[in-house]
Amino acid sequence: MAKKLMKGCEAIGEAAVRAGCKLFFGYPITPQNEIPEYLSHRLPQVGGTFVQAESEVAASNMIYGAAGAGERVFTSSSSPGISLMAEALSYLAGSELPVVIVNIMRAGPGLGGILPSQADYFQATKGGGHGDYRCPVLAPWSVQEAADLVQDAFDLADYYRSPVLLLGDGLIGQMMEPVEFHEDRKPLKDLSRKDWACTGWRRDGSRPRAIVNSLYLDADTLEQHNVDLTAKFDAMRANEIRVQGRFLEQDYDLLVVAYGTVARVCLTAIEELRAQGLKVGLIRPVTLFPFPYQAVAQAAAKAKAVLVVELSTGQMLEDVQLAVQGRVPVHFHGRTGGHLVTPEEAGQRIRAVLDGKSQEVRHG
Amino acid sequence: MFGSRITIIVGHFGSGKTEVAVNGAMTLAQTGQPTSLVDLDFVKPYFRSRTAGRFLIDAGVELVAPEGENLYADLPILLPRVRSICKDPTRTVIMDVGGDDTGARVLGSLADVLADQPLDLVLVLNFRRPFTPDVPAALAMAADIETAARRKVNGIVSNTHLMDETTLDVVREGWVMSGDVAARLGVPVLALALEEGVLSQVDDATFGCPVLRLRRAVRPVFEEGPRVPRVGPLFVLK
Repeated sequence: MAKKLMKGCEAIGEAAVRAGCKLFFGYPITPQNEIPEYLSHRLPQVGGTFVQAESEVAASNMIYGAAGAGERVFTSSSSPGISLMAEALSYLAGSELPVVIVNIMRAGPGLGGILPSQADYFQATKGGGHGDYRCPVLAPWSVQEAADLVQDAFDLADYYRSPVLLLGDGLIGQMMEPVEFHEDRKPLKDLSRKDWACTGWRRDGSRPRAIVNSLYLDADTLEQHNVDLTAKFDAMRANEIRVQGRFLEQDYDLLVVAYGTVARVCLTAIEELRAQGLKVGLIRPVTLFPFPYQAVAQAAAKAKAVLVVELSTGQMLEDVQLAVQGRVPVHFHGRTGGHLVTPEEAGQRIRAVLDGKSQEVRHG
Repeated sequence: MFGSRITIIVGHFGSGKTEVAVNGAMTLAQTGQPTSLVDLDFVKPYFRSRTAGRFLIDAGVELVAPEGENLYADLPILLPRVRSICKDPTRTVIMDVGGDDTGARVLGSLADVLADQPLDLVLVLNFRRPFTPDVPAALAMAADIETAARRKVNGIVSNTHLMDETTLDVVREGWVMSGDVAARLGVPVLALALEEGVLSQVDDATFGCPVLRLRRAVRPVFEEGPRVPRVGPLFVLK
C-alpha cells in the first residue's frame, strides 16, 4: 500500500482492521475520538461492526463478550474513560480473554484536561483493576510504531490470552506522520485455535462446553488460578521485553530514560548536546510491562547519573529506581497539566545534572 | 488566491486547511491590509489556527478565536465578533473551518451574513489522507461540504504531500487528481501548496500553477532544536 499521511488515532484504527479485528465497541472522549470516528467509516467496509456504547463501562463489557466468543475485538478511550473500564479490565485478565485496549492519555487526575499526559503509567503497568494481574503495555513514539504495535498487540493478546494495552499520550494520537502498512505482515506468534472460546456446545460431545469465568469460590482452586496466571506473567517478562537505546555504544556520563513522544523530545535535545561535546545516552522502554529492568540497569551502570523524563510527577521513575537499585543517582524531570517537555527544557535539565546543579530523587 | 475580501478554507480532516489559512493571513498582513483570521475549527482541538496565536498576532493578524481556558475547549464556541467581521468592508478575512461536512456546518449558520459578501470557498485537497484516496472520494466529500456550507466551492488548493517524505511523484499524482476534481466542479486549481524547503526546484512553471510556499506553523515540539520559542503548551514556532 502507498504511504498515507495519518493521524496516530487513524493509524491505530487502520492497524486494528489489518490485524483482522472487525469489532469495535467504545465511547467518545478527547483526544482519541478519531479512533472511533475512523472505525465508524472503516469497519462497515470490511463487514465489521462498530457500536458506540452508552458508556465506557458498557463498551468494556461488550469487548468481554466478543472476546469470550473468540473474536478479535478492541476498544479505545482516554484516561477517565479507562478508569471506568477498570472493573472489566480485571475481569478480562481473570477470565484470560484476549482484547486490545488503547489509552490515549490526557492530563488528570479527575476530569483533568484534554491535553497530553503520561500519568496513567501506574494504572497501566501496576493494575488499574483489582487483584493480582499484569498485562503487556506497549508505548509507541511515532505514528508508524503505533500502527505496528497495534498489530503486534492483537497477536500478543491471542497468544497469552490476555488484555494488551497500548499507551500513547494525546500528541501521538493527534499528530500526523507518513505511515505504511505491509500486506505481507506475518503474525508475531504461532497462534493456535481458540478452543476455549464459547462458540456453541454440542450435546453429542463434538464440541465441548466452554466457560468464560473469573469466579472461583474455592481457595485452593483460586490460588492455583493465580499461580497459573503468574506463570503467564513470568513468560511475558522472559520473552516480551522491548527496549531501544541511542548512543549506548558510545561514552556517556548521563543516561536519560523516557518513553513515548517524550523520548523523541529528549533525543532532539541529546543530539544537539552531543554535537556540543556533552556525553549523554538515551534508553527508551517500548514495553512498559514487562519493564526492561536489566537493560536499564546495564545502561545505567556505565553512567554517572540517570535522568528520568516523564509527563507526570514521577511514575516510571519508580521502575527505573528499582532497576538501578541505588547504584547510580537518579534525577527526575516532569511536566503536568498538559504541558509537554520541550527539547530546550530537557537540555537545560540534562546540563544541570551534569553540572551537579540538580538534586537526585529521594523517597521518605 | 485570496482575491475576494473573504476566503473560507474547507477540506477534509488534516488536509492542510490550517496551514493554508495561517500562511495566507500572514502574507496578507505583510501587505498592510487589515487582516482577520477566524478560527472556526470546532472539530479538532489539538491542531488549529489558534495554536499559532502569538505567531499571528506578532505578524499583525487579528486572530478571532476563543481565549483563556476556552482556547483548548472542544466546544462549538462561535464568537459574536465573527458575524460583525463578515459585514465589515474594511477587513480582509480568512476563515479556517473544521474538517469535512461536520466542520463546514458552522458556515450554514453564518449563511445569512455571508450571503451578499464577496467570498471564495477554497477546497484544500491532500490525496494521501486516508478518506480522500481518489477523485470520486474527493468529489463526494466536496458535495457534502457544499451542502453543509450552503455554498459552492470555487477554487482548489492542491496540497498532496507526505510531510518530510514528500517526493515530486507524490506532488504530481495529487496535482493530476486535483485537476480532475477541479474540472468536474468547473473551478480552477488556484495554487499548489508546498512546504518551504521541500522540493525547492518546483516553481510556478513546473505545473503551470502558482506555488504557495507554506511555513509549517504548527508542528510537534520534538521536531525542533532546543532554542525555539513555544506556542502554548504543545507547539513551537518555526
